[in-house]
Amino acid sequence: MSIIKKIITFRPSFTLRILTGLISVLIMLSVCTVVAISDQSGALNRRATNFNARSVEVGAKVYSLQCARCHGLNGEGIEGLGPSLAAESFVGRRKLVIGTDGLATYQTEAPSKRLQQIGWTESLENYIIAVTQAGIPIRSSNVWEVNHPAFLEDFGGPLRRDQIRDVTAFIVNWSLNPLSDDQAILPPAPGEGQAPRPTPVPLTEAQEAGKQVYLQAGCTACHAIRGVGTQGALGPSLNRIYTVAQERIADEKYKQAAQAAGQPVATTPEEYIRQSILYPNAYVVPQCPQGACVAGLMPQNYAQTIKPEDLDKLVDYLSALR
Amino acid sequence: MAFVGQKLIKQIQTTGLKATIAQRLDDGFTRFTAGLSWNDVRGILRGDPPPKPNPRVKPHTEGFWFHIRPSFYHEAVTTLYPTFRLGFLSAVFFMFEIITGIFLMIFYTPSPTYAYQNMIDIMTNVPFGKFMRDLHRLGAEAMVIVVTLHMVRTFVTASYKKPRQFTWFTGVVLLVVTLFLSFSGYLLPWDQLAFWAVTIGTSMADAVPLIGPELNLLLRGAPDIGAGGLLRFYLLHVVLLPIIGIIFVAVHYYKVVRFGISLPPEMDPVAGEDNARKVPPEKRVPFLPDILTNELMYMAVAFAVMAVSVVTWYQGAPLEHHADPMVTPNHTVAPWYFYWLQGLLKIPHMIPLLPTPIAVEVDRFFANVLGLTPKVFWGVIVGPLMIGLLFVIPYIDPNPSRLYSKRKIMLSLGALFAAAIVYLSLAGIPTGVPVTGFGYVGGDPASEVGQEFIPDEGVGPVRRLAYKHYVVGEHKVSAEPNTGSSEFDKLIRAIHASMERRKANPDPLGQKLSPEASAVVEVKQVQDNLRYVAIKIDYTDASGRNTRFVKETYLHELSGYAGGH
Ligand code: HEC
Ligand code: HEC
Ligand code: HEM
Repeated sequence: MSIIKKIITFRPSFTLRILTGLISVLIMLSVCTVVAISDQSGALNRRATNFNARSVEVGAKVYSLQCARCHGLNGEGIEGLGPSLAAESFVGRRKLVIGTDGLATYQTEAPSKRLQQIGWTESLENYIIAVTQAGIPIRSSNVWEVNHPAFLEDFGGPLRRDQIRDVTAFIVNWSLNPLSDDQAILPPAPGEGQAPRPTPVPLTEAQEAGKQVYLQAGCTACHAIRGVGTQGALGPSLNRIYTVAQERIADEKYKQAAQAAGQPVATTPEEYIRQSILYPNAYVVPQCPQGACVAGLMPQNYAQTIKPEDLDKLVDYLSALR
Repeated sequence: MAFVGQKLIKQIQTTGLKATIAQRLDDGFTRFTAGLSWNDVRGILRGDPPPKPNPRVKPHTEGFWFHIRPSFYHEAVTTLYPTFRLGFLSAVFFMFEIITGIFLMIFYTPSPTYAYQNMIDIMTNVPFGKFMRDLHRLGAEAMVIVVTLHMVRTFVTASYKKPRQFTWFTGVVLLVVTLFLSFSGYLLPWDQLAFWAVTIGTSMADAVPLIGPELNLLLRGAPDIGAGGLLRFYLLHVVLLPIIGIIFVAVHYYKVVRFGISLPPEMDPVAGEDNARKVPPEKRVPFLPDILTNELMYMAVAFAVMAVSVVTWYQGAPLEHHADPMVTPNHTVAPWYFYWLQGLLKIPHMIPLLPTPIAVEVDRFFANVLGLTPKVFWGVIVGPLMIGLLFVIPYIDPNPSRLYSKRKIMLSLGALFAAAIVYLSLAGIPTGVPVTGFGYVGGDPASEVGQEFIPDEGVGPVRRLAYKHYVVGEHKVSAEPNTGSSEFDKLIRAIHASMERRKANPDPLGQKLSPEASAVVEVKQVQDNLRYVAIKIDYTDASGRNTRFVKETYLHELSGYAGGH
């Protein structure tokens, strides 16, 4: 009790006041000096490095939500939908070097060939930002089924400037270990882009009718066939499904899966396609545009909802895609 | 013929050059100090007794800055008790915030496009930038504490009683200004924390009966917070509220000088009689030099404590992800000094926890009898009424006595009010009040595990574990993980423990994690220095379905969450 009383009735002497005040001012000045020295000797740069790294983290999420459906989960590109953004010819090759000043910066070892090819003289970052913000209003090549969407809010897109900066940081970060060009879908060089595509085999009347079934049964919500309806990206592309089906039936994994599921093993591509529509789980395709295919995503009830004669036409149509 | 330097030349001729310069300098000095010559000041600094007539009162009558300070205090109020210097410290922090705030203003643009990047630039590109930002943030919180404590002390010592009712009233205005200053500043970094706390806060304006939508529009500049809202909050923060604050500090200070600081209650034994102005000469402590040096000392100590805190224990003003109107983070909370309001708003959510007949009655009471939604009742009426109550305390307290022994009722009511604020504040945080669980807002237990380890905003255990400790692959969550990295194993054990806890003990809403629930931690290498970490929990949800809950994040080798900037 008496000690509390002593404290609350304490009145520092004049000298003590001046001394305490002076010491406090000195402490404050020394803290300021410490801060000044630490800021100048790298603290600012280290924090900048942290924030740049966090930007890559945020960008990874933006990429997986907005870009992966056309550019591939790992930036490998998807045929018809979007070129690779992780390929060495696009991002080049760089090294991340942490300088003595604490700042992590990229050092270019091989520049982007793509930018040289199209004559872009600004930085790679600015190219990515420009394309992503405003999109590409005119399709540069008929190998692409889609125009590049404009992603910036100002142009009606879903992203803010900071998100576009973040996703750019993420894409550029691929340059540390880029995909080799032969693993990637590359865009055509300028000028070559308009080369006519191989003329498609003309469709028979029944196949034309099958195409209508394809459009009406809602397959486009998940699948993509170049030039036909919406380009879905939840299931595998059916651009060359006949050729794909040929590969599948030759694959041991398919045979085992079908047997395990209690389904007959298809011996012709047509049978495989029919089975894929009626019993999607007989064999679950490993790779879809946005990562591993999800078993059970494709509706299981086409046997009930598509009339047998329509199904024949649909299979006939899909078999023409080689 | 008179000319400008005539007098000067005359003086030099009579007293010599040196003496003239000395005398002229001293004249200037005296004008500057509003009445003190150099010798007077030296006497003050040496602690000499004042000469007669005392020149040290002149600055109080002649000068601007000192005229709102008294020329002496009663000896009884110069000890720590009764004031604890809290009023003065409130003023110190107000000044402190103005100084650090002006520094930050230089680098800040009140626009959603730039604000967040400006904050990053302040911390990464401006020498002293982070230091100043942390000082400003910590200072703001300290100011809320100091001002509140100052109010508590004037309440406890009954200093609000006649003749100081209006002093108290202006004080409550300053409390409100302080709270709104903090709240408006909270939005400016434009991160998720700021955006959602302020969205929730301003949604109360929307709930005001009749004028709600208009009020909301006035505050936000649009139906939702955006460029307009940010600009308005900025203008409130740097123009309107500081001006109101400065005006009311002036009035408040004037009142303090006018009535004198109240003596300790035991020195005002006769009810209704105030002795603060009756100071016998031997009890006078002169402002110059005693009070002034005392105040300067407190100011220097306060500044030093802030500076040292910022570079030692203070973890720094937060900057979470960029504001995103499309993504509401889990468990958004208001700043802590508004927890009580948030707790108040939760009262209606707790109605379902009441026994049904009572809940029905409470609902009926609000909807039919009062014609109000609970949000309007608790948030818009009760909350402001609690502040309103503070305003009128001096006018409704019928007891004129200042003696503690005669104020038992009022002191008990005050303690009750304080206890209510503490209880509501606890209820305002997502974990709710300990024991009673009142105010708990957790979701499904699996998602709570995710939130515990990978919070939407803030760091959390997963981000706190450095990149290098993660092992790529899918790891089963168990009591004895064996990933090859002891730090990573520790994290997995913690996840396991948290799941087991949630299986064994129901949360305050009675939810448990299903007993067979299992989890894996998946780590994928995304880029050379970037990993993906996900906690995937398979469990049976409340409706009996098998569900998988996934909470994911990305970790960069250099993001520095693990500490060590
Ligand atoms: C709807 C599909 C689609 C989406 C979604 C999409 N892109 Fe593209 N992207 C394309 C196509 C198609 C091209 C090639 C366009 C052309 O050259 O005409 C392209 C090209 C690009 C290029 C230029 C590549 C080069 O080699 O010149 C960049 C950079 C790019 N996209 C970035 C992004 C980013 C970042 C996102 C996500 C925010 C994204 N894209 C989302 C379809 C898409
Ligand atoms: C809700 C999305 C969805 C819809 C709608 C859908 N599919 Fe699929 N489809 C998938 C997914 C996912 C896969 C891959 C997983 C699997 O094999 O089950 C797939 C696989 C296939 C395959 C096998 C592809 C291969 O590469 O082996 C064919 C063929 C196919 N679908 C045809 C169709 C047809 C025809 C329709 C319309 C009648 C249709 N799908 C509708 C999602 C869908
Ligand atoms: C920015 C906020 C404030 C500032 C700068 C401030 C400043 C001061 C100062 C310097 C004093 C002189 C006595 C002392 O130091 O204790 C004082 C007294 C007083 N203040 Fe405040 N104050 C603030 C807020 C408040 C609040 C929130 C209240 C109460 C609701 C309040 C009520 C009073 C009362 C009643 C007195 C008279 C005390 C007495 O005479 O003993 N003030 N104030």
